[in-house]
Amino acid sequence: MKTCLIVDDSRVVRKVASRIVRDLGFSVSEASDGGEALKMCRVSMPDAVILDWNMPVMNGIDFVKALRREDGGKTPRVVFCSIENDAEHIRQALSSGADEFIMKPFDADILESKFAEVGLI
Amino acid sequence: MQDNIFNALADLALNASGQSVLPSKAYLIEARLAGIARREGFGSLDDLIHCLKSRQNPVLRAEVAAALLSRDTWFFRETAVLDGLVGTALPERLAASPSGHLRIWCAGGSTGQEAYSLSMLLEDETLPGLSGAKIEILSTDICKQATEKARRGTFGHYEVQRGLSIQRLLKHFTRLDSGDWQASEALRARISLHAHNLLEPADGLGKFDIIVCRNVLSGMARSARTRVVETLANQLAPGGLVMLADGETLYGLTDRLEPAGGLRGSWVAAGTANAKASAA
Repeated sequence: MKTCLIVDDSRVVRKVASRIVRDLGFSVSEASDGGEALKMCRVSMPDAVILDWNMPVMNGIDFVKALRREDGGKTPRVVFCSIENDAEHIRQALSSGADEFIMKPFDADILESKFAEVGLI
Repeated sequence: MQDNIFNALADLALNASGQSVLPSKAYLIEARLAGIARREGFGSLDDLIHCLKSRQNPVLRAEVAAALLSRDTWFFRETAVLDGLVGTALPERLAASPSGHLRIWCAGGSTGQEAYSLSMLLEDETLPGLSGAKIEILSTDICKQATEKARRGTFGHYEVQRGLSIQRLLKHFTRLDSGDWQASEALRARISLHAHNLLEPADGLGKFDIIVCRNVLSGMARSARTRVVETLANQLAPGGLVMLADGETLYGLTDRLEPAGGLRGSWVAAGTANAKASAA
């Protein structure tokens, strides 16, 4: 079973995303900031990461940059998921190492479409 | 929804667009029509239906009929079909076209996502077989509002995130202050839009090298399907191709078209598929 790490400081967003991703057949784990997520990735690299931008401790941009420097850190497909949805922010996320970008709010159709775009399903 | 109201609406949809409305969609229809009924000052859906029956109001009737249609569409729906069209069908047609001018018709194109997807593929793919070609895309829909929206080339937050990669969004669209995204001038320049009811003749639209009619026939009553397929066959240029969605077929609807073979979901004029295969 493929694994997905959902990184967001909002418990509600994590809960909604978890339900959708589980329905897509993934095993899900959650982290509430980039620092916690990085520690989890060092133990076990997930297949997919859904990543918020603004979080305490370590934001999404710093996380994805750090992740890509880790051993095996280029493997996970990273899908940013943020309210920072103007073109400049999106470009910054992609140039930092993200593979796709979801503009919040999102629904199951969007998440499924984006996972398909990056070959996760 | 009461049976008599549902039946009246189902009759309206059948007569106006040939669509079969399923009882299981009654709640959706109720939600879609509630806004129209409120705006027009009707106390209930019943009053709206009564008005449509008793008074001539073609504009309101058309709006209600359009609201009964499924508008669900997204970018790059069944990508393999579109890839086959751009990568195989168009180069073959171009090789047989002395003018280098090809016409594609997205019949029942809703709010334009299919036409814009094709336009993006034509922008992005540098296929030697298509160099120098002038390719025109016409998208038509029965709903004037959908056609107008397609003409603007402006899509909302949810629409641009269904089927469209973020790279393509950034490359081909500009974010407006409203938060919507507008297709580039280059994409829009290739596409023309017309309101057209597929139950009506389409002689005025001209002939087409490729007619894409996906997920339209499957929602129609059989009598309407037969009529629409006749129209598609009439508008197909010699050697042209009709493309359907996965799972759709023209068997039993017409003797004028037959499966093309090779490209899934594609149909050609009867008697030409084997000749084409032999030539290949």
